[in-house]
Amino acid sequence: MSILVNEATRVLVQGITGRSGSLQTKSLLDFGTRVVAGVTPGKGGQEVCGVPVFDFVDDAVRAAGGVDAAISFVPPLNARDAAIEAMDCGIRLLVLTMEGIPKRDVLEILSCARFRGARVLGPGTAGLIAPGKCKLGAHPTRMFIPGGVGIVSKSGALSYEIGKTLTEAGIGQSTVVALGGGPIWGMTQKDALALFNEDEETKAIVLLGEIGGNTEIDAAEYIARTPVKKPVVSLIVGRSAPEGKSLGHAGAIIRGGKGTARSKAEALERAGVKMAATPAEVVARLRELRL
Amino acid sequence: MKLFEFQGKSLFREYGLAVPQGRLCKKNETPDWSGPVVLKAQVLSGGRGRAGAVILCESEKERDAALEKLFSMTLKEEPVNAVLAEERVTILHEYYLSVAFDGEAGTPLIIVGASGGVDVERLAEEHPEQILKLPFDAVVGPLDSHFRKAARFAGASRPKEFAAALSGLYRLWRETHALLVEVNPLAETPGGFVALDAKVELDDDAEPLHRELFARLRVERAGVTGASPEPQGDTITCIPLDGDIGLISDGAGTGMLTLDLLRDHGGRAADFCEMGGTTSPEVMYAAMERVIDNPKVPKIRSLLIVLIGGFNRMDEMAQGIVRYVRDTGFHLPIVVRLCGTMEEEGKKIMREAGLPICDDLEQAVREAVGETGRRAGDVDSRQ
Repeated sequence: MSILVNEATRVLVQGITGRSGSLQTKSLLDFGTRVVAGVTPGKGGQEVCGVPVFDFVDDAVRAAGGVDAAISFVPPLNARDAAIEAMDCGIRLLVLTMEGIPKRDVLEILSCARFRGARVLGPGTAGLIAPGKCKLGAHPTRMFIPGGVGIVSKSGALSYEIGKTLTEAGIGQSTVVALGGGPIWGMTQKDALALFNEDEETKAIVLLGEIGGNTEIDAAEYIARTPVKKPVVSLIVGRSAPEGKSLGHAGAIIRGGKGTARSKAEALERAGVKMAATPAEVVARLRELRL
Repeated sequence: MKLFEFQGKSLFREYGLAVPQGRLCKKNETPDWSGPVVLKAQVLSGGRGRAGAVILCESEKERDAALEKLFSMTLKEEPVNAVLAEERVTILHEYYLSVAFDGEAGTPLIIVGASGGVDVERLAEEHPEQILKLPFDAVVGPLDSHFRKAARFAGASRPKEFAAALSGLYRLWRETHALLVEVNPLAETPGGFVALDAKVELDDDAEPLHRELFARLRVERAGVTGASPEPQGDTITCIPLDGDIGLISDGAGTGMLTLDLLRDHGGRAADFCEMGGTTSPEVMYAAMERVIDNPKVPKIRSLLIVLIGGFNRMDEMAQGIVRYVRDTGFHLPIVVRLCGTMEEEGKKIMREAGLPICDDLEQAVREAVGETGRRAGDVDSRQ
């Protein structure tokens, strides 16, 4: 198995007729993702790469005979309504790729998700890939092969980078999840760790973090107090960043001793995580595990 | 958008929060008021009290001396161009209040401090028991129990008025799509609660929902800073560092990884530049300008561009790079790691322009460091 998605996952694309929506739909179909329907208000009746387009999510779900996950390319100001419409129709996994959704709207989406027991990946996420099974995001297909390593990363690009490095070393992945750059997250590293922990196919977990914020510390606490059955290898980027400077991601701000690469690495190491300083070392740590 | 104190206070007033009577005095304006006042430099950074940028004065003479001093100050690189003059109030007690959000938990929250006028971040770290964080549901909003808990924690002697102030603050946060509204301190006076300071940060992503408000605030801000009131729509982050290798990446995560690898290989980046969001040839071009023609970035000896495309298309990135090199005749060594979405098309564009590319990140880093070393050697041998 993989986490969150598998080969049977039926996918709805919201905002399917837009520039990114149609381009990404092609890429998802090329990969083999089961894209069963798309939605763009006012464009019902059209087709994108052979996928039928509907005006409303409930029509799409009915026509497809069920939808398991939705990936959204809806413009930021319409993103909240689109996400809640999808949840109202029973869709329990949302991938929000867009950046620039007003933060209050994001908070409302997450509140609705809690009430409905839905999972939200993002916003501002590159999504996820279960190599050989399902892609629900932007991951370049050639950089991933099926296998037993689960990867969770805030940054999309960093998840491609490590996926590529592992693939070139012959190490396959069960699922590769990008959480988004923040400043608000639906799914967190802790959530992904919990899912990987229960996934039979996943033999080891790679946790990719960065300076700023506290989610890696939360993840370390989770690993320390939960029986995490799988070995965890972690790489925290930004160890050479100058203190007090924000490097792009809203989370990547060092405040005093908090949120530094060192404090995170120490917390993770105390929790039994094997630390790597570079992508090559991630490969080395995984090889040492002799999975 | 961060607001000046005087702007935040005008919003407070609209939402029923009392603020002291005050007037704004800009540089080179002659004050037409007198009497005991408190003068406060209008800058966006915090810590004004400690920096001596808040001055009490009794007489006209003191006022003029204080204004002269304030207008000569620069606080964290921000010159003082306006001063808020406010009536003085009798303070019985001070509290801290804010509405913000916890991004990692994905919820908004009310933050209460039983004492105000303090460095709240330090207080939260050193005495977390003196700060109460009350998460609430974003759709439902804070409940009556949230307001009562806040008043009890603060030990407010007039809990209903305290709750009313907090409720106004919440409505302001909600209705303007603010990221943060903070009162520090909220003063209890014989006449009721008064906000002595105002820190408001609005969400730029919500600007289309509040066009008039944003336009008014930008014009006000321009009246203080003298800068253009136009918004700067740009997703590029460029932070100058102190090395000699120009660095551009298409993601913050890989950018930071590259920074680490550069240092491991004995190189130093001149900057940290990431393009953010979904990019285009124009953004790629603009990022190169930002690093190469930026007086704040040290002179570079080589340029390292690290691209790994998911949503970003490598053909578009290659077009941007090639166009910049052609337009400017850029002649320094340039190392481009390019892979991911549409990489074959991107590589072809680079090859046809005679620009080298590589696929492996560590190799790209080694080449960039090597190029810098060689260039440094060339310069030395000529001297």
